[in-house]
Amino acid sequence: MPVKLALLLLCVPVLAQSPFAPKVSGPLSQQVVAYQIEAKYDPAKHTVDATETLTYRNLTGQPLDRFPFHLYLNAFQPKSTWMHEAHRDGYFRTSDLNGWKDTDFGSDEVTSFEVVGMGDLTKSMKFISPDDGNPDDKTVFEVQLPHPIAPGQDVTFKIAFRCKFPEVVARTGYKRTFLLAGQWFPKVGVWWHGAWNCHQFHALTEFFADFGTYDVKVTLPKDYVIGATGVQTSDTGNGNGTKTVAFHAEDVHDFAWTADPNFKVLERQFDGSVGPVRIRLLTYDAHKSSWQRYLDVTRGSMQRFDEWYGPYPYAQLTVVDPPHGADEAGGMEYPTFITGGTSWPVWKGEYDEPEEVTEHEFGHQYWYGMVATNEFENAWLDEGINSYTQIKVMDSLFGPHTSNVNMFGVQEGDRASLRRSYLRRAETDSLSRTSYTDMSMNSYGGVTYGKTATMLITLESVVGEPTLRKALHTYFMRYRFTHPTQEDFLRTVNEIAGQDLKWYWDQAVYGTQVIDYEVLRADSTPTNWYEDGDGEKAGTTYETQVILHRKGDFIFPVEAEVKFDNGDSTRERWDGKDRWVRYVYRKKAQVTSVQIDPDYQVTMDRDYLNNSLIIADQHEATHKIAAYWLALTQFLAQVLSWLV
Amino acid sequence: MNEKSMAEERQGLVSAGAALIWRRQGILWWVFAVNVVLAALGTMPAVHALKSALGNSLAGEQLVKGFDLGMFYELTRLPQVSLMRFTEPSYLFAGLFALFMLFVSGGILEVYRQDRRLNTGDFFAASGAFFWPFVRLMLFSLVPFVFLGNLYLAVGKLSDRVGDRFVADQEGFWVEAAGTIVVVLLVLFVRLWFDIAKVRAVAQNERRMWRNMWKALGITGRELWSLLWMYLRISLIAWITLLVGFLIWTKLPPTAIPATFLLLELVLLVQLAARLWQMASAMTWYKRHAEMVPADTVDYTTPHPLEIAEPEPQLPFYPETELPPADA
Repeated sequence: MPVKLALLLLCVPVLAQSPFAPKVSGPLSQQVVAYQIEAKYDPAKHTVDATETLTYRNLTGQPLDRFPFHLYLNAFQPKSTWMHEAHRDGYFRTSDLNGWKDTDFGSDEVTSFEVVGMGDLTKSMKFISPDDGNPDDKTVFEVQLPHPIAPGQDVTFKIAFRCKFPEVVARTGYKRTFLLAGQWFPKVGVWWHGAWNCHQFHALTEFFADFGTYDVKVTLPKDYVIGATGVQTSDTGNGNGTKTVAFHAEDVHDFAWTADPNFKVLERQFDGSVGPVRIRLLTYDAHKSSWQRYLDVTRGSMQRFDEWYGPYPYAQLTVVDPPHGADEAGGMEYPTFITGGTSWPVWKGEYDEPEEVTEHEFGHQYWYGMVATNEFENAWLDEGINSYTQIKVMDSLFGPHTSNVNMFGVQEGDRASLRRSYLRRAETDSLSRTSYTDMSMNSYGGVTYGKTATMLITLESVVGEPTLRKALHTYFMRYRFTHPTQEDFLRTVNEIAGQDLKWYWDQAVYGTQVIDYEVLRADSTPTNWYEDGDGEKAGTTYETQVILHRKGDFIFPVEAEVKFDNGDSTRERWDGKDRWVRYVYRKKAQVTSVQIDPDYQVTMDRDYLNNSLIIADQHEATHKIAAYWLALTQFLAQVLSWLV
Repeated sequence: MNEKSMAEERQGLVSAGAALIWRRQGILWWVFAVNVVLAALGTMPAVHALKSALGNSLAGEQLVKGFDLGMFYELTRLPQVSLMRFTEPSYLFAGLFALFMLFVSGGILEVYRQDRRLNTGDFFAASGAFFWPFVRLMLFSLVPFVFLGNLYLAVGKLSDRVGDRFVADQEGFWVEAAGTIVVVLLVLFVRLWFDIAKVRAVAQNERRMWRNMWKALGITGRELWSLLWMYLRISLIAWITLLVGFLIWTKLPPTAIPATFLLLELVLLVQLAARLWQMASAMTWYKRHAEMVPADTVDYTTPHPLEIAEPEPQLPFYPETELPPADA
């Protein structure tokens, strides 16, 4: 084995103490919560028995006597709201949800609930369903305190609980010896805009929680390799075949961990603007062909985010490569902890996995992890903005037209890929709609990811790409660790662009309008048409008529390029307010083509094919596709005849 | 045995089959032409729709200068171009070609059996004579093919189950790969079995297909490995050609549309030739080795008489009447 590879495989447990990069000193957030959890994992039963001490600081400015908590693992029960919603759409991510299996069951059971100074309140816990009133949903419970917590005061909860993990689904669970422990502990809701914000677990949307500190100790068999949010602070053998590993994280709003005795650990360093960051990749021998690709794309993404949007302030990023068969654990983000995804064999020139998924999840460290918007209600502020920045980073790393696929002569950029997602559901839901109430899984995906990304790419044609980048940088730096709203984002873009973009937001964010422009007419006729010989002589002057038509209900200014047979071309800018516009030219030349949006900037235009009109018939594209179609039909015919 | 036959006897079966295909290459070109024409008819509705969408749009450039997947998707989602709608004519004409092949198989095998050019009447007489027997044979062949289809599904499930138990992706992959190879070999065996049945039917002028099928199974079983190896070698050549064609295709510039068309057609021609090659080799084998199965021994030195009873033309009865004068 080459020395380089041996070093690559070397697993060195580095016990970092600070959760931040060297040039960063906390706290970075208000640190409303402080969790101390001691968990014991039983790999045979896929259960965790744990105690949690939560100290909540009342910074709401008013007395609080009622506290809601999430118990997300209870979503994996047949009558839960999550299961009902996922089953309604027939699938969830990679799960088909056909039939119920015992291994689908997950639960969070609180065995005791004590409030320091107020005694045992286990019996006063009650499940609530603030979103849909489902009496069988047990993903949120609340506790009424005997007396309120005054503003500025702390309250400490001591909770004992037991989780049972399902076979991996929805970003959590086990697969063989692998475990991804996500959404596993009782987590308090967020006091936001004068009320508790603690939604039930929904199939479409993800999470929202308060920033704070986490000190978590996990006891598990000693041969297990573990990775988690934050940094590892100790690793102690217990002498009974188990060990206890401690982690510390600050200014994060969730805590996830993963364990598997088969993990292979690779470590690299990213030198960011606030100092070095350790990249810790937990992967498998079977995925050796993806190791370098994981590390390269992680470092490339970190470098671009650092340069364009702001620093990554934490000391470590843990990247988890889920094992074969655990796809549901892939493509997920938790603070300072992401899961990617790959397979074997992995193709060169196919960047969906591990590159795109890793980049995407790293991007969440900014929009979900640090800006931390409310994903239940405005998922586009995280998933959507992240999809836009994904296009930017992937294009920068792998080329604008090849960043999704570039193999066997077939290309697609990330921009086109996300536009494809948008086109599937261009007009069903607005971005501003409460996300978990979107029409379907497809609509949520198309709108939240695809529409936001295409909406921001389209916005570049109005404000310019550098301006939008600066706006995102400002938004990130200004609002990180604060849970901003969509209005905060829109206001920031307006401010940096130096213009009121209300006309755009009203249609693209708050509305469901769709852009669709077409070239309705383009032709040239001799001005002396009434003379003999139809007037077509050398030096004839032609009148060219061009009509552009707004088919869609989204009013958006567009450019159109008109080309003539003498080589002249001209660009027209139309505000699109009327239904159509006519351009007339008198030249000693005839029109050859007209193209709306010649730079393909208006990605929200739902039909690119009617954006242009070329006078001379073009057959090459038809011939090319026809040649393939013919060959496929011949081949099909041969296959059928071979069997008879 | 004449001089040509003795020379052939010394030849291996695969090369003798190839020589036969070459000598009777008219069959190959004719079948290929029908394949192209029927597929072209199946493709026509799609071409018309593509012309209407791309004929005057600059967007088509993205499909010519490379193959932009996004633009192709946009094309397919247009109501008037929805390519999935145009798969129906393709299926229809592919089915017609399969029917055509079923019809002419008897004639093709007769040509290979006699190793001489038949006149059109004889060719179609042989084709027609064996059409319905071959239809019955095809229906019988559905039983093993359906079984093999289910076996392939079972291989998929087994590989999922095995793969699910192991950390490494490779375990399930190798189970699937091994299972697929076994299924492919079994498909090849079934194809061989029913080809031998067809060859025997033509050679023996056998019309009882149920009996013929079991006889053919016995013959194939006795010579299984040599026959299967013969078929496998020809199939390997076809698969390698497919692979080489694919590799060349990846090297062609995206704008080289005529070259791409020629390459695709060449590859398809080779696939068709390989299939006829297998049939020709099977016939050659049968002619050489039929004496090993006494019940099947026939004299091949003279053309096999076709038992096609052409009815005497029956003229209608007209009563003897006087014709009227021409100028009446």
